[in-house]
Amino acid sequence: MGSKSTMEQTIDKILNKSEKQVLSDLKDAGLNFKQNLDDSIATLESEYDKILSDGKKEADKIEKQIIGGSDIEARNKQLLALEASVNRVFTTALEQITNSDRNNDYSNLINSLLQESTKILGTTKVKVYTNAKDKDVVQSSLSNFPGSELSSEIIDCIGGVKIESKEGAMKFDNTIDAKIERLKPLIRKEIASKFGVKE
Amino acid sequence: MTTKGGVQYSKIAEIKGPLVVVDDVDNAAFDELVEIETTEGERRLGKVLEVGNGKAIVQVFEGTTGLSISGTSAKFVGKVMEMPVSKEVLGRVFDGLGRPKDGLPDPIADKFIDINGEPMNPEQREYPKDFIQTGVSVIDGLITLVRGQKLPIFSGSGMSHNLLAAQIARQASVVGTNDDFAVVFAAIGVQYSEAEYFRRSLEESGALKRSVLFLNTADDPAIERIITPRVALTVAEYLAFELGMHVLVILTDMTNYAEALREISAAREEVPGRKGYPGYLYTDLSTLYERAGKLNGRKGSVTQIPILSMPSDDITHPIPDLTGYITEGQIVVGRDLFRQGVYPPINILMSLSRLMKDGIGEGSTREDHAEVANQVYDAYSRAQEVRALAGIVGKAGLTEIDLKYMDVGDVFEKEFLTQATDENRTIEETLAILWKIVSKLPKNEITKIKDKYVDQYYQGE
Repeated sequence: MGSKSTMEQTIDKILNKSEKQVLSDLKDAGLNFKQNLDDSIATLESEYDKILSDGKKEADKIEKQIIGGSDIEARNKQLLALEASVNRVFTTALEQITNSDRNNDYSNLINSLLQESTKILGTTKVKVYTNAKDKDVVQSSLSNFPGSELSSEIIDCIGGVKIESKEGAMKFDNTIDAKIERLKPLIRKEIASKFGVKE
Repeated sequence: MTTKGGVQYSKIAEIKGPLVVVDDVDNAAFDELVEIETTEGERRLGKVLEVGNGKAIVQVFEGTTGLSISGTSAKFVGKVMEMPVSKEVLGRVFDGLGRPKDGLPDPIADKFIDINGEPMNPEQREYPKDFIQTGVSVIDGLITLVRGQKLPIFSGSGMSHNLLAAQIARQASVVGTNDDFAVVFAAIGVQYSEAEYFRRSLEESGALKRSVLFLNTADDPAIERIITPRVALTVAEYLAFELGMHVLVILTDMTNYAEALREISAAREEVPGRKGYPGYLYTDLSTLYERAGKLNGRKGSVTQIPILSMPSDDITHPIPDLTGYITEGQIVVGRDLFRQGVYPPINILMSLSRLMKDGIGEGSTREDHAEVANQVYDAYSRAQEVRALAGIVGKAGLTEIDLKYMDVGDVFEKEFLTQATDENRTIEETLAILWKIVSKLPKNEITKIKDKYVDQYYQGE
């Protein structure tokens, strides 16, 4: 048989065609594979960057939480310790005031407290209250305030006076306790500064 | 601060709602602080609302429940209400009247400041133009907040405004500067669980140390709510103008404040205005909102985000209506988006930051910010129209370009608007998402952005 039969020729043709098809498919697959690989490198890099940046964000967040929390905790402990010290200073000072002598200076103080109080109420016709220790000092000062009278009722205070208008509608507390209470916020600042707390 | 004591009056003529009328009063002054003492020795604070004819009308902050005419006395302290301030207030939690609520002592005060504040000299005001990054894309990207601005959030009952408020408080920062930043958070008439959420949220994120919290819960006396924003703003002003910090003040919920104002107005038998609110509601709100700003020659700034829940989501209600007249724009929380589960559910088409244009662009955010934001506004608006059209003709009846706009709407809501409550996005990340949305459109649809920016940032086909 000198020449190929028609059947063989057909088979060759199909084989050639198939071979070309397979080679072309392989080439396409190769290109696709390369393309996918190239694409995924970019995606991978962006995913990698995203994971890194998310991780960094999370780490920053946790760092802030830990530092913020411990800062606050330390500060709060410092505040409580400072307040305890300020209170100790107050207690000691009050004890000293309570036990101080009722001398001439003290008498002047009572006089000025009475003056201030009657001026604020706008009348000297008042009832005056004080503690047992200051009764005599107050009584001797009342002669300067016509119409005033010392109440027999004793009040519990460190010193100073409480006055009331005769009809009882107006009262003014000018005891040393009340004065200290009013001054307390300012005194606290002064005491705190002695402990090295900056303004 | 005065060290002089006040006279105590024991002639109480009448107790009416939150008001106490004191008789035979000589030297009381308007707004003077009053200490009401009960027979049991309990003390409550109040202030003088009116004086004249020997009478003084006192508004009791802690309410008048349990007070009786006999045995109650009123001590006129001789000063207005003051807030003790110092740098130490940072990291502290106070109640609605400015008293410590965290179990710690009163702060050691550097100063005592009148809570009503001093009006800013208009001539000394500096125009706000510096960007504040909240880490919330929709705000930073499209409704940008600037230092010294007052930008309210209009929300509705049950929506996620408090989550958003807490997120802003945790994340807000000033970028590109080493200036100190602080957050003053005033919760007005919120539920206990919400107040606790704010406190815990700031504590756990480590943001508490740069924050000051004022918590007036729903079960606290309503009248206290009149004071809460004032003490908060007093602290903010001190931190900003005395210590040079940039302070963000978040006030939530201003509707509760207005309700308290209405309660007092009704007790005073004043002629009611719209919906029973007093006629001076606008003036009163402005005394709070106008405390935001920057001053020439001073380093710090006070920026305000008041949050108010609109009754029945009605934006024409007197509170949002009058607020809108005073503030510089608004952020509107949308019920539809909220129902879809979008967080934060901000309806950008109803929202606006009037000062945004001055706080963005080259040198503060990025040169393309304004243009890309405008393009996204435009595209989202078109997407809404297309969605409405699709509801009538169906998706099949839409053109190819309409479908692209629908896609833009979806990407906008899913990728830009939607954000986790603990997700803090930088402005660069926000702008990148805005460009991703714009890139869904063909180039010929991009009409609001210069070509050079399109060439630089466009990622579409």
